[in-house]
Amino acid sequence: MGWIEHLKAAASNLLHKEQVETELDAEIRGYVDAVTEERIAAGMSLEEARRTALLECGGQEQVKQAVRDGRAGGGIEIVGQDVRFALRLLRKSPAFTAVVVLTLALGIGANTAIFSWVNAVLLESIPVAHPEQLLVAHWTAQVWPHGLGTSSYGDCGGHHATEGGNWNGCSVPTAMFRTMQSRTDLFSNAMAFAGPAGLDLSGNGAASIARGLLVSGSYFETLGVPAAVGRILEPADDQPGAAPVAVLDYGYWQRAFGGSAGIVGRTIRLNNVVFTIVGVADRGFTRLTPGKSVDLWVPYTQVVPLGISWAGKDLDYGSWWLTVVARLKPGVARTQAQSVVNTLFRNEALHGAKPVWKEGDNPAMALVPAQEGLVGFRQEIGEPLLLMMAAVGIVLLIACANVAGLMLARSAGREKEMAVRLALGASRRRVMQQVLTESLLLSLAGAALGVVLAYAGASALAAFVATNVHDAFRVDVRPDATVLLFTAGVALLTGIGFGLAPAWRGARTRAAAEFNKGTAGGALEATHGSRRRFGLGSTLVVAQVALSMVVLTGAGLLLRTLEKLRSVDPGFDTRNVLLFAINPRLAGYTGDGIEQLYKNLQSRLQALPGVMNASYASDALLDGSLWTEDVKVEGQSGKDTVEAQMLSVGSDYFKTMRIPVLRGHGLGAAEMRPGQTMAVVNETFVRKFVGAREPLGLHFGPSDPKETQWQIVGIVGDTKYEGLRAENGPTAYVPMREGEATFALRTAAPPEALIPLVGKTVSDVDANVPILRMTTQSQTIDQLLFNERLVARLFSLFAGLGLMLACIGLYGGCRMKWRGARGRLGFGRRWGRNSAACCCCF
Amino acid sequence: MGQSQTNLLQGTLDLLILKAVGDGEQHGLGIARRIRQITQGTFQVKPGSLFPALHRMEEAGWLSSFWGESENNRRAKFYRRTKAGERQVGIETKQWATIAQAMASALKAT
Repeated sequence: MGWIEHLKAAASNLLHKEQVETELDAEIRGYVDAVTEERIAAGMSLEEARRTALLECGGQEQVKQAVRDGRAGGGIEIVGQDVRFALRLLRKSPAFTAVVVLTLALGIGANTAIFSWVNAVLLESIPVAHPEQLLVAHWTAQVWPHGLGTSSYGDCGGHHATEGGNWNGCSVPTAMFRTMQSRTDLFSNAMAFAGPAGLDLSGNGAASIARGLLVSGSYFETLGVPAAVGRILEPADDQPGAAPVAVLDYGYWQRAFGGSAGIVGRTIRLNNVVFTIVGVADRGFTRLTPGKSVDLWVPYTQVVPLGISWAGKDLDYGSWWLTVVARLKPGVARTQAQSVVNTLFRNEALHGAKPVWKEGDNPAMALVPAQEGLVGFRQEIGEPLLLMMAAVGIVLLIACANVAGLMLARSAGREKEMAVRLALGASRRRVMQQVLTESLLLSLAGAALGVVLAYAGASALAAFVATNVHDAFRVDVRPDATVLLFTAGVALLTGIGFGLAPAWRGARTRAAAEFNKGTAGGALEATHGSRRRFGLGSTLVVAQVALSMVVLTGAGLLLRTLEKLRSVDPGFDTRNVLLFAINPRLAGYTGDGIEQLYKNLQSRLQALPGVMNASYASDALLDGSLWTEDVKVEGQSGKDTVEAQMLSVGSDYFKTMRIPVLRGHGLGAAEMRPGQTMAVVNETFVRKFVGAREPLGLHFGPSDPKETQWQIVGIVGDTKYEGLRAENGPTAYVPMREGEATFALRTAAPPEALIPLVGKTVSDVDANVPILRMTTQSQTIDQLLFNERLVARLFSLFAGLGLMLACIGLYGGCRMKWRGARGRLGFGRRWGRNSAACCCCF
Repeated sequence: MGQSQTNLLQGTLDLLILKAVGDGEQHGLGIARRIRQITQGTFQVKPGSLFPALHRMEEAGWLSSFWGESENNRRAKFYRRTKAGERQVGIETKQWATIAQAMASALKAT
């Protein structure tokens, strides 16, 4: 029979079910009647004839079922029957259904939530056409490039990350990018980007900071991203003299501009430069690097007018500031392109306009598939996520064991039903199928609810991450096809996982034993059967408790680590410190004006009620930033310079931060005056670089003696600088005279209450100076410990969840035990035992 | 025969039914009786295997059915061989002959 006829037959069977059933019934009844008549004719009595005829037929219902099973579409019909029956049963015990569905929803939901993160951060490919063709240029060398400024934006992982003793990075100078872009024989296109930079945006309501990515004009063409509105950037936009234009991110257009239709042609001011918005990028283009969000794109040639200092001055050669992504031409092998680019790179880096390495430094350039090369947030959160995945996996196992226990308890109450079904001629397979249908229905319901919970959970997690990392973080955790497929798979496995044991038990019910219950022999047999079941039930409970102990122990260890890190002595008083950063340069300040502004602000802030001291520095301690400099210390043997951590500070910095001054004096207003070259170093600096000599009065500074040489006038206690895990490094504090500053206010009470007042004070001094960020020192430490906190918090959550589920399971197990033992319990009571004692004898 | 009912080989039943229906029209009981008759009582087909087979074969297009009157003036479902059913008889007869021959020679060998 062809499959078309089969389908037709199946459809007809299913559609004309009633007629088919009536006919089948009539046919079989006719058969029995005919046999009866035959027997009567042969001389049997009516009753005898009827009995033997029925006996010969062997159960009309079974015959009918056999016909149905053999028919086309029979399978579907059976499934439909099972589903209806299961639904009826579940409706009849709403409490059981609710507990199971909720348990499963929590287990499956937790898995889906973490998986949607794994998917978004680790698995999902870059949302552009043919992402597999995109390559990112990644260099390695045995030493750090000499005498140049490099910038990195977290796209390729840590800037200082060493790989097998090699230094690596993915930023190159503009000239190198141009060379790569010109190789149209290898690449169908190439683009470069830098940033994003925090740009002071005005001309759209209140001034705000927009995250602008500096890109080559070929950025969108290379990625194959079209415009949703207007146009994308074009190669002509990054040519010298081109008008300043910007393209908005779709989400940013919706958020900041309300999706305004007349966006094209509107002008905005970025760092006081007028830009024309020419378009909005495609909605689907949500990211290039995982976790990195961008509000708008501007041509990289605008870096100079925008006054972005980190890019450096010699953009063509000396400053390595662009990350290059190229699209491999179809038909060209990646290795082939890589060897050509590597040769170009070595030539440039060893013998070019500005050599940065010697031959022996072994510089090399690799073209890494962008999917792997652009790690971004994956680097930080990848491992914690996998750890989380393991934790939620265990939670799901607990949920499974839990539900299996509940199902078993329930099946104990259904043994009579199973026995009746078997006695009426249901095959063991059918009974098993029925029970499995029930568990699959439950797990699907759990999964459906779980997806909702997961979305809420994953979004909450995204919000937690966003408030705890510096950079605006965005990750799309909406459940997509992959996530839903994962959930469906998990639900299926779960359903089978917790359904198998009860199904198997249901199918093994011994009808005779069930019906005989109450008689002496039957009771004995039933008790015997129960023993075995309670063995399985107890195993499930033990497994649940054991598994929740695993997660609890994990959570405990993680919390302990966090606690240890928190109790590290940072060398200064971290309580009641308010921090905020400003960059007067963005508002047009230069030179002395900056210093004047800082001093003015300092005295005004100091006068605020509740503020004990106020000072400022080039960076905040313990917020992850670090400035190091190669210095030469006077009288030190050898020609080599040493690396010291540097921090420029305003007056009274040590008093404000409560860093103890051990010898000499700190830096006050007198030391801040122009021309003064006094500096303070910490104990480690003295120990490492000065030794037994008298430190006070010694000079240190850049190896070029023409540059400022600082004189040590005081020694302060060691502090942590970049992070809590690093050892205290040699640090020098020099007077702060320019650049972006982070103000620190020592307050008498918790500083959060002062935030509005401080904001007002700054805008009173100059409304055009935007506050870049305002946090407390405790918050920056929290951000620093973000990963540890995230993992510890989630682990605790999942451990709590696991424990809760295990408790439900324990309760269910007790109940089941109690029910099963009810017969004997009466006996026990008579002997003076109480029911609670019986519950605990597993 | 009783409990030691010869197990019907899968496929054998189909051939027996097609043979039993012959060129005429038969209802379920008639087919069962006819099979017993032509196999000299070796095969007694019970409704539990007969009806599923009849319905399956009808869906396969080897049999067609209609409702009619039985010899006792009862409404009964009659089965009739189709063209495809006749072809199937040829195919299965050949197959069966091959198997029977093979089994016979296998059992003869010592």
